[in-house]
Amino acid sequence: MNRTSIIALLIFGAILGYFLSFGADTTRKFQAGIYQFFAPFFRTGSGLEKQITSVRTGLKSLDELEKENAALNVDNRQLRATNQALRDVEHEVNRLRHALNYRERSVFKLIPAEIVTRDASTWWHTVTINRGKEDHIETDMPVVTDEGLVGKTTTVSNTISIVLLVTDENCKVASSVEGTREQGIVAGERVTGGLAPLLDLNFLTKQANLQPGQKAYTSGVGGVFPSGLFLGTVKSFKVRELDGQAKLAPAVDLSHLEDVFVVTGRK
Amino acid sequence: MIFFAVLVVLVVIAQIAEFFIPPLEWMYHAHIYIAPVLVFYGAVALPFPLMLGLALIAGILLDALTVQVIGSRVEISLGWSILLYAVLAGIMHGLRPLFIRGRWEVHSVLTGICTSAIILAQYLMITFRRGTFLFTKEVWWQIGGPGLIAMLMAPVVFWVLNWIARVTRYPYLPERSFE
Repeated sequence: MNRTSIIALLIFGAILGYFLSFGADTTRKFQAGIYQFFAPFFRTGSGLEKQITSVRTGLKSLDELEKENAALNVDNRQLRATNQALRDVEHEVNRLRHALNYRERSVFKLIPAEIVTRDASTWWHTVTINRGKEDHIETDMPVVTDEGLVGKTTTVSNTISIVLLVTDENCKVASSVEGTREQGIVAGERVTGGLAPLLDLNFLTKQANLQPGQKAYTSGVGGVFPSGLFLGTVKSFKVRELDGQAKLAPAVDLSHLEDVFVVTGRK
Repeated sequence: MIFFAVLVVLVVIAQIAEFFIPPLEWMYHAHIYIAPVLVFYGAVALPFPLMLGLALIAGILLDALTVQVIGSRVEISLGWSILLYAVLAGIMHGLRPLFIRGRWEVHSVLTGICTSAIILAQYLMITFRRGTFLFTKEVWWQIGGPGLIAMLMAPVVFWVLNWIARVTRYPYLPERSFE
């Protein structure tokens, strides 16, 4: 090994040691800084992704159209394109109207946010949203939709925040089951096997005997999540050695999330 | 140095692009990782100090963009990915003479293995932290799948990077072209 390599190795070791010495706060600050730096790229990427999806949908309908009628003329194409554009606008209007309605009737103070990126790693379930400290978002704020709980914020930079999804094993939520006195802790599964991830509702009593279709809500214990947020519906229940465990289908379809709300308090 | 800068830019772009590539549902939600393929190409194409530099940048990016900080707890400390990249890239670097002679096949296979090794190491670390050991079919697919994809991607990526290396007049090119 030559001298340059040894010097490089020493510098590398020093930098590595420096990073390994970071505590949680320093890591969070560093992470927020990196996310803030890349925020414009994420926004551009998110916009591009939406455009590509839109183009793909357009091409698909053209394919179907060609199969249906090979002699489609230019006027027809123009009309269909206009229709498609109007449908997109209608969808957007409906979506926003829906969101606005929820915001108005909700008992919480809500800040609307858009999903910018989805999880890029195998073992952690997170998304990033286009709101940050500038919008008064802080760490550990619940994130919801009109359908139910989505997760909570973890790292917050000025204009972008990371949301830990309820399907992550590290996102633990105190919950209660409707029509019973049962209380437990909901957490995601470490590995998602099926198409839709399930949630584990642990630490129930062995006698809980929950039935499929029963609904679980946040109980408000712990302070992060307010009570009454819909978590999911019971799919199955089993008795384990020390407790009972139920599998829940999440209230929110997290794979198709577009808009969310960050809960900043009660009205 | 121009080629090193190009590799760094490509690693950054790849790391951002990974956020927009959905996991493969038919492969038990296995993710597609592009950045490791670039780093492991760098490991065989670059001299040792620059290889370390690339591993450092890629590791910082991977950690900063994916690590989870919950309350006062960091799931995997910042820096572990740097170490992982450096060790695995170091192993690949040991096979550099073979690459210089134009043998890229071994490195393609190794790229896949090393990509899976990174994900396996992450999984072992979170498993030790969270407590329960869980090795199901899904886990193995989520570890092995990205490696398999990286292995398939590697020849194409290597070919493109080799072309970029020629364009930027990088002096340490393989003797035999990728044919």
